[in-house]
Amino acid sequence: MRRRHALLLGSAVLLVATVVWPNRAHLAAFPDIIGAYSAKEYCSCRYVSGNPADYCQVYIQQYIPIDQLHDEPASRTVTARGLGRTHSAVWLGPREGCRLLAEEEAAAVP
Amino acid sequence: MSAIGFSVRFLVAGLAAAVLAAGRAVAEDWPGAGWARQPVARGPALEAFEAYAFPPRDEVGRRGVRSDAVVVIRDGVLVYEHYAAPTTANTPHLVWSVSKSLLACLLGVAYGEGRFRLDDPALQYYLPLAGHPDLRMRHLLNWTSGLAWEEDYEYSPLKSSVIAMLYTRGHNDMARFVARHQADTGPGTRFSYSSGDSVLLAAALKGMLPAERYADYPWRALFEPLGITSAVWERDATGTFIGASYAYLSARDLARVGLLMLRDGRWGERRLLPADWVAFNRSPVPGYQPRGEGLVPGGHWWLNLPLARASRPWPDAPADTFAALGHWGQALYVLPAEKLVIVRFADDRDLSYRHNDFLHLARAAFVSGEAR
Repeated sequence: MRRRHALLLGSAVLLVATVVWPNRAHLAAFPDIIGAYSAKEYCSCRYVSGNPADYCQVYIQQYIPIDQLHDEPASRTVTARGLGRTHSAVWLGPREGCRLLAEEEAAAVP
Repeated sequence: MSAIGFSVRFLVAGLAAAVLAAGRAVAEDWPGAGWARQPVARGPALEAFEAYAFPPRDEVGRRGVRSDAVVVIRDGVLVYEHYAAPTTANTPHLVWSVSKSLLACLLGVAYGEGRFRLDDPALQYYLPLAGHPDLRMRHLLNWTSGLAWEEDYEYSPLKSSVIAMLYTRGHNDMARFVARHQADTGPGTRFSYSSGDSVLLAAALKGMLPAERYADYPWRALFEPLGITSAVWERDATGTFIGASYAYLSARDLARVGLLMLRDGRWGERRLLPADWVAFNRSPVPGYQPRGEGLVPGGHWWLNLPLARASRPWPDAPADTFAALGHWGQALYVLPAEKLVIVRFADDRDLSYRHNDFLHLARAAFVSGEAR
C-alpha cells in the first residue's frame, strides 16, 4: 500500500515536472479559449457578416461545448461562458467590427 | 540630327504611346460601382464544377465541401457567381488568412509611397522588436522571422501561439505578444508560416504612418481606390489591425483585389502597387525547400511554381497561378495566363476540399470554350 502511494506520488511529481510546469502558461490560459472564441466569433458572425442568430450559434460550435451564450442586441455585446470562464465581445462600428474585451472591460459589462 | 527632327520624332513616339494607352483603356474592362456581367453558358462543365463546389450541404456533421460563395471574373467581367445561404452577394465574409495578402497589398501601397524598404529592420517601425535587431521587413513578408511560433488551430489549441494571440494571452496587444517570442533561428534562414509575422507587419505599418492616418489607411490606400465598399477590418485593443486574420469583404469586392493583382498592381490608369512589389509577392521565399505537396510561399501570397525536385502544388493550374488562402477554405485565386480571378468563401470543417480539383473544374467551366 505504501509502495503504491509512493509510486503514485512519484508519477504525479514526474507529470508536473515534465508536462505541467513547462506548459503552465498554456494550461492556465486553456480554459479561456472556448468562451473567448465563442463570444468573438458569434459577435462577428452576427454583427459584421449579418448572419441570422441561429446560423451563428451553429457556426461557433466547437468540440468543447459552451455553457451559455448571451447576446445583448441593444449594445451588440456577446458574452459566452465555457469551462468556467466568461468572456465578452462587442461590436464597435462599421469598419472596426467586433473586439474581444479585456477581462477588466468585460467585468464592466452589465 | 537636327533639333527639329528630334522633337518630331519625340512627338510621334509620344502620340503612339498615347494611342496605345487609349487602346488599352478601351479594351480593358474594369468594375465601376458594380461588375460588368457576361454569365457563362450552362453546360456539362459548369454542372461538374457546381457539383464539386456546391454539393448538398451537410449542416449537421459539417462534412465535405461547404462553399459559401464563388465569384469568377474573366478579364474584368463577372462570368459566374453563386452563393449558399445565409451568405449573399452583400455579405462581408470573414476571409481569415486571406487578410495577410490584403495586408501585403496595403504594405505595397506604403512601399510605393516610399515609406519603407524591404531591407529595413522591422524594429525601425516597431520598437518592441528591439530584441530582434536583425529581423527585416522582407523576413516578415516571407514568414521567415525565425521566431519560436506555433501555428496550430482548433485541433491542437493548447500550445497554439495563434489561439493564444487571438483569444487569450495575446489578444489585447497582439503585436507585443508576438514580439515577446524568442528567436528559434536567425531571420531569413527558415520558412515557418506564422500569423505572428503578419501581425508584426500590421504593427510596423502603424509605425510608418502619421498616427492619425493609420485607422483609415486600408480604406484610403486600397479599398476606396478599388471601389470596395463592404470591407471591415477588426483591430486589437491598441488599434492595430489584426492583419493575420480578421478582414471581411463581400466576394465581389475581394475579386477586385484579385483583378488588381492580375493586372500587376495597376487599377485603370493608376498604379497602386509598384511592379517590383508585385514581383516580390510572386517570388518564392529564398532558399525555400519544397515539402511534399505543400504550397510554395512567396511575399505574403501563395505560389504554384515548380521548385527543384518538386512539381507545382496544383498540377491542373498554370504555373503562374497564385493565391491568397485562409482557414476553412477561403481563397482568392489569380490565374494570369487565363485572365481569371476566382473568389471562394467556405466553411469547410474537414479536409475534403482540394484546390487542384476545384481549379481543374473551374478552368474547364470558365476557360475552355464556354466563357466567351
